Amino acid sequence: MAIERILKDDASEEKGERARMASFVGAIAITDLVKTTLGPKGMDKILQSTGRGQAVTVTNDGATILKSLHIDNPAAKVLIDISKVQDDEVGDGTTSVVVLAGELLREAEKLVAAKIHPMTIISGYRMAAECARNALLQRVVDNKENAEKFKLDLMKIAMTTLSSKILSQDKVHFAQLAVDAVMRLKGSTNLEAIQIIKKPGGSLKDSFLDEGFILDKKIGLGQPKRIENAKILVANTAMDTDKVKIYGARVRVDSMSKVAEIEGAEKEKMREKVQKIIAHGINCFVNRQLIYNFPEELFADAGILAIEHADFDGIERLALVTGGEIASTFDNPESVKLGHCKLIEEIMIGEDKLIHFSGVEMGQACTIVLRGASHHVLDEAERSLHDALCVLSQTVNDTRVVLGGGWPEMVMAKAVDELARQTPGKKSHAIEAFSRALVAIPTIIADNAGLDSADLVAQLRAEHHKEGCNAGIDVISGSVGDMAELGISESFKVKQAVLLSATEAAEMILRVDEIITCAPRKREDRM
Amino acid sequence: MAAVTAAQPRSSKTESYVDNKRKEDIRQANIKAARAVADAVRTSLGPKGMDKMISTANGEVIITNDGATILNKMEVLQPAAKMLVDLSKSQDAAAGDGTTTVVVIAGALLKQCLLLLTNGIHPTVISDALHKASTKAVDVLTAMAVPLELSDRESLIKSASTSLNSKVVSQYSTLLAPLAVDSVLSVVDPEKPEMVDLRDIKIVKKLGGTVDDTELVKGLVFDKKASHAAGGPTRMENAKIAVIQFQISPPKTDIEQSIVVSDYTQMDRILKEERNYILGMIKKIKATGCNVLLIQKSILRDAVTDLSLHYLAKAKIMVIKDVERDDIEFITKTLNCLPIANIEHFRAEKLGHADLVEEVSLGDGKIVKVTGIKDMGRTTTVLIRGSNQLVIDEAERSLHDALCVVRCLVSKRFLIAGGGAPEIELSRQLGAWSKVLHGMEGYCVRSFAEALEVIPYTLAENAGLNPIAIVTELRNRHAQGEINAGINVRKGQITNILEENVVQPLLVSTSAITLATECVRMILKIDDIVNVR
Repeated sequence: MAIERILKDDASEEKGERARMASFVGAIAITDLVKTTLGPKGMDKILQSTGRGQAVTVTNDGATILKSLHIDNPAAKVLIDISKVQDDEVGDGTTSVVVLAGELLREAEKLVAAKIHPMTIISGYRMAAECARNALLQRVVDNKENAEKFKLDLMKIAMTTLSSKILSQDKVHFAQLAVDAVMRLKGSTNLEAIQIIKKPGGSLKDSFLDEGFILDKKIGLGQPKRIENAKILVANTAMDTDKVKIYGARVRVDSMSKVAEIEGAEKEKMREKVQKIIAHGINCFVNRQLIYNFPEELFADAGILAIEHADFDGIERLALVTGGEIASTFDNPESVKLGHCKLIEEIMIGEDKLIHFSGVEMGQACTIVLRGASHHVLDEAERSLHDALCVLSQTVNDTRVVLGGGWPEMVMAKAVDELARQTPGKKSHAIEAFSRALVAIPTIIADNAGLDSADLVAQLRAEHHKEGCNAGIDVISGSVGDMAELGISESFKVKQAVLLSATEAAEMILRVDEIITCAPRKREDRM
Repeated sequence: MAAVTAAQPRSSKTESYVDNKRKEDIRQANIKAARAVADAVRTSLGPKGMDKMISTANGEVIITNDGATILNKMEVLQPAAKMLVDLSKSQDAAAGDGTTTVVVIAGALLKQCLLLLTNGIHPTVISDALHKASTKAVDVLTAMAVPLELSDRESLIKSASTSLNSKVVSQYSTLLAPLAVDSVLSVVDPEKPEMVDLRDIKIVKKLGGTVDDTELVKGLVFDKKASHAAGGPTRMENAKIAVIQFQISPPKTDIEQSIVVSDYTQMDRILKEERNYILGMIKKIKATGCNVLLIQKSILRDAVTDLSLHYLAKAKIMVIKDVERDDIEFITKTLNCLPIANIEHFRAEKLGHADLVEEVSLGDGKIVKVTGIKDMGRTTTVLIRGSNQLVIDEAERSLHDALCVVRCLVSKRFLIAGGGAPEIELSRQLGAWSKVLHGMEGYCVRSFAEALEVIPYTLAENAGLNPIAIVTELRNRHAQGEINAGINVRKGQITNILEENVVQPLLVSTSAITLATECVRMILKIDDIVNVR
């Protein structure tokens, strides 16, 4: 008796060789898509949205590209996930991790074709990854004790991260911005306190770091435009009217004067509410919702600066940096925590007026105002700066630093090669393959820069044969250079995350021998 | 999905070749699309540039010479072309003028880049060289610039009229240029002399008359008529003006309410009560001595009713209704008064004072003018007139450009010659500089220098002159050290352009060069277009 269908109608199943092929092809296609963005001379991509508005994004950020792709291939999705995780964890190296995983799979494909069992490859990769990590660990530099040197390290890391982005021309300026911002955080990785405001106009060089907080809102009419020693109440409350929320509630009256009375009572209620708010002893009131004309005037009369319609993000941050709490009832003033800052004033950036809070409670807070030619430039600048900030804040915690420019890959490749020679059995092939995948990264960097990669990588390899060499690819001059002299550094944490998560992802995809695609859920056809 | 399927057929051996082919294609397509956009606006450059008629999807017709407006309405789809449209917008935001120039320069740069790319130079090398060249260009321009004092009204007017000369309203430049200068200078805050907020200058458009009748009003102009109900006053001397944000109409609560009327006498009483209620309000208003009311539009209930208008008229209070909430800030700033949101707060100290508020008939409509305001805020109003809507709209855009030009001069007080002189000088100096550079860079900088010649070339072409003869002649003059030689379009020859009073702010030229370069670099660095969600 033939076996009946096990799976549902539209579900499909791919097995063994075919399944593996599908995974490899998908993963490698993704890798090829993003690999041209790698390195200081990597290219950008236009992301054209097929959705409404046909919005256009120009980016060099691997995570951004991958995040927005339409993907149907399960293996490709795994790669996108690791890039996302990398983005969340360390913020940078999102392209590198995908490229390395892709290269590992490309090598694995060849090994599988040579009839080596996937499990053997996996265990080989594991050994190699461990060995590579150790090799890198031995070469890390840690300047934790020396604050001066550490700051220099941070600068170098920021510049290296930024050099592959749109900000590369002004990288010194932006690296300084990022380092200053991160140093203010004093070790916390809470990037929330760093606010980035984008204002079109001017050029990227006009961007600046501002101590304090900037809110993109207007001050109410007739209210003070400048307040010193401000006590701020951040609230989320309706400042139009307190309505009876029960549906269908209505008031029956029998004369016009009663209506006027009710209206008067409503006004009175509002006035009471405002009085209660004023009773907190504040001189600045920030509300997430609209403030109507009537309460606005009351505030103006009391000499209180009232800001209406601050967006959600805005008030949360404001509450955070001024040390206040978001209030929504005002009955007991003692339980509400007010925010404080030294000075509130109106400033003008480009054509817009903004409200500036300086001397805020949380001294770590700061705002970076980005200026640039267009929204594309600004968006991309924000992404790049965000990457740099992430890496820096991670580095502040984990102060270990390695060189960049393909140096870590070469160091690891050398150690892994060594291991391959000592390992008996089929595993050594896998270990060797791992080393080849590592070398692929400098190769791609060179290729993207339009250099002769074969020649350069061979030179690099020779250089690295010597002990304690600092050679890497100097993309600008197109030759092998000393990375320590050129000041190209990367955070150890980023490199480690790239290495480990790429290996894990490759491992996971290698283990697959069957892909079951579930039947798409159907709309119920009512019979 | 699309990207994956497209990538699948590549086998690993031929991949690099196929890859490069595709990238090349995408880059070419981007450059072509962007250049098409640049070509579309090219003919509108310069004093003899032509205008474009745009008919929008909803049947509206716009005639304009303003690059930013043309591009804005073009609705391009190709991503790279869109970037050029954005470029023009940024120039509009940064300098306000030169929106066509910036796109034309970007187009010319892209043309040169295409040539460089076909010669096999790596895009990032070109991009870096362009950046260097643009920084150098800004240095050269700054060195050429002439410093300016704000008290030098003559020069300010000259530069404003240069901007106006290329517009439809060029014949009125003698009128509009001083107007633009005066209005900007009157809103400059002596405490913050670098900051000019153009929102302090209100432009009111009114159909009728000709552009000649455009005037600067020291005070306020409302494009509305005063309420005529029940013969209310339309002219008020020694006006005490109140800006109110409450309504003079029967009360309405926020919770739903209904009045139960059970018999006829009750109805009578309700009517009487309503009358008394309104009367009470108006008495309070009158008590403060207020005689002009500006009433904010209300969505909740009628701002005024016939009844209240009637009583207000009887109390000899002039009423202007339906003032938009957005305008309140400008009005209160100008009148130096405070808005009043509740009848209880109606106090004399919140009123603004003016010598005269009157309704004036203009063409087929009426406007209300407030003049002689006491302690007037730093604002000003320009009343634009014109024989048809198209002219008025274009006049407004041109005036906006002129205002921006003056603003640029206020924030960065340097002037530079116009008429293609700075571009040709840049081209010459960069050309000389490129010879001392090494390698690819020198080659790219030379292309940059050549691309800049597009401005004088287009100027001459649009003016019906022989562009090649003019440009070579210009080069020759500049080589002999006449750095201010430029194209005099009116005379059709080359003269010292500074003497011809054709000047523009330095900021317009520098921002055009830096923004155009930034945009071109971005387009160059793109190697793929990916369709995403």
